[in-house]
Amino acid sequence: MFGIDWTKVDWQQPPVLARQELRDLKKGIDGSFREFSRTNGEWLEALFEPLLFFLKWFQDLLIATPWPLMLAIVGTLSWIGSRSLAMVLGAVTAFLFIGYLDMWEDTMATLAIVSIATALCILIGIPIGILMARNSKVEKSILPILDIMQTIPSFVYLIPVVMLLGIGKVPGLIAVMIYAMPPIVRLTNLGIRLVDKDTLEAADAFGADPQQKLFEVQIPLALPNIFAGVNQTIMMALSMVVIAAMIGVPGLGVPVLRAVSNQYLALGLMNGLAIVAIAIIFDRVSQSYGNRLQKHRGGGTND
Amino acid sequence: MKALTKFKILSTAGVLAVGLGTTASANCGEVQIAEWNWASGELMANVDAFILENGYGCDVELVPGATTTTFASMNEKGQPQVAGELWINAVRDPLFAAMDEGRLHSANDGPITGLGEGWWITPAFKAAYPELDTVVKILERPDLFPYAEDPSKGAFIGCPAGWGCQLANANLFRAFDMEAKGWVLVDPGSAAGLDGSMSKAVERDEPWFGYYWSPTAMIGKYDMQLVPFGVEFAGSENWDGCIVKSEQECADPKPSSWTKSEVHTVITDDFKANGGDAVAYFEKRVFPGNIMNSMLVYMQDEQASGADAAIEFLIQHEDLWTGWVSEEAAAKIKAEI
Repeated sequence: MFGIDWTKVDWQQPPVLARQELRDLKKGIDGSFREFSRTNGEWLEALFEPLLFFLKWFQDLLIATPWPLMLAIVGTLSWIGSRSLAMVLGAVTAFLFIGYLDMWEDTMATLAIVSIATALCILIGIPIGILMARNSKVEKSILPILDIMQTIPSFVYLIPVVMLLGIGKVPGLIAVMIYAMPPIVRLTNLGIRLVDKDTLEAADAFGADPQQKLFEVQIPLALPNIFAGVNQTIMMALSMVVIAAMIGVPGLGVPVLRAVSNQYLALGLMNGLAIVAIAIIFDRVSQSYGNRLQKHRGGGTND
Repeated sequence: MKALTKFKILSTAGVLAVGLGTTASANCGEVQIAEWNWASGELMANVDAFILENGYGCDVELVPGATTTTFASMNEKGQPQVAGELWINAVRDPLFAAMDEGRLHSANDGPITGLGEGWWITPAFKAAYPELDTVVKILERPDLFPYAEDPSKGAFIGCPAGWGCQLANANLFRAFDMEAKGWVLVDPGSAAGLDGSMSKAVERDEPWFGYYWSPTAMIGKYDMQLVPFGVEFAGSENWDGCIVKSEQECADPKPSSWTKSEVHTVITDDFKANGGDAVAYFEKRVFPGNIMNSMLVYMQDEQASGADAAIEFLIQHEDLWTGWVSEEAAAKIKAEI
């Protein structure tokens, strides 16, 4: 029954599928995936083609940008985000250092994929989070998916993604997004659900329709959580850079892989620290931007 | 002292052989065979073990190991006595020194045919463009291998970052002036990336042109075709002094075919002297590359161990291995399968 090999079963071995059946099962799954990839791979690939060209264009753009201009952009963005001169100086110095240690091009490639991955995660993740907050059934069905996305070892989905889409930027981006999207979804959902019931009642009393309630009450009040989510998403995207390099995504992950397989200590450390530097800049800037957005709430908490 | 130990071993083996009864070549005795930690080496060691044990009455022990460590043990201690698939590039100098001194001997300088590294294409591509039969000719047609990120260029799948072959591929890429010819050197990132890109291409009937090596299950599974370079090997000075070095150390790489990977079956002096007919077996035992690859596919598909695969090989390819052994031995082996 169920193909169980009872001869093997004892106190140390729970009922186990017979070897042949297990092999057939695995082969069957592999075979049907291969069949799926053969029949559907082409149009899926075509579907992602615009994304691929956008990714490539953006990376080329970042690499082609003259470095003083790039530093100016980094400085300006840090200023807009943090309004702190120390932050601006820190960010510019970090980028100068990255250039000094000959990691400029790889850093630009990494910035390109991480910023696009983050932007897409936000664009897709926030609406999903809102949907989850408004409907508990949706929440219940999406939560396990988020759990899978966050815990399944990335190598497990790298192979099927490569079989479907080949190696390169698009499968890399998908791998990054699978891992980086859950925090923004979770925290958007949480943030909206945590909005004070009394406030919502007040909004109702003022005759706000659901749309007004969402955009003018719930989302603004959920912003601290949403920003924490954006923050986490950026961090996770950056931490996936090395995994993405394993399927041919250029960037700082490639030298890290090279360092790992050859025990190049310094090379690994430098590129690893470059990833950390970018992460810290992104983190501080986005956090202080989020905090400033909250200033209007007044109250004692932020001031 | 040494002779005494040897005598002891032989006598113990003799006692064991008595138990086995009728086996003829009583002089074979105890043999240790290196069992490598990669699939083809594992299979070969198990085939050797089965044939020696059942055909020649040897008392075989398989010794697991990796190239350099096992070689060191053979060289210093004379054990194991047989290394079936020794890739000599890693141990070239000490091996030739030991061969000059007569401590080790090469019983077979090509136990597997068609092995080594190189540039491969899919069988479908080869069938569609039979006229493109060398690397040099393929390099004129980057349009046939469009690169996903820039279809105006041809994609050449190189070796993952950090592997030794990455440098060789990058330098050959420059040597053949491939960038000017419209090619992009794609870094697949990892072994999984390299394998994945190849499987995807074959499964979808897309062209694929890149680096791989044989004997491997991947080559066997997809029947990948090695492309001759169409240029001569440009000397070991160019290869060892430039192609395998980093770009800074290789200013002027010359086009060259891939360096020949040499694999030998190496035996110790002791075994050569006392192994009797078994030595002659090793001299004749040559696995054709395609059969070896198909066995590797079998091992991967069935998740078979080397021992299981050896039996499968002996069943499937009787006409091949019967040519390696005497008729008398063949009959005994057949009886045991």
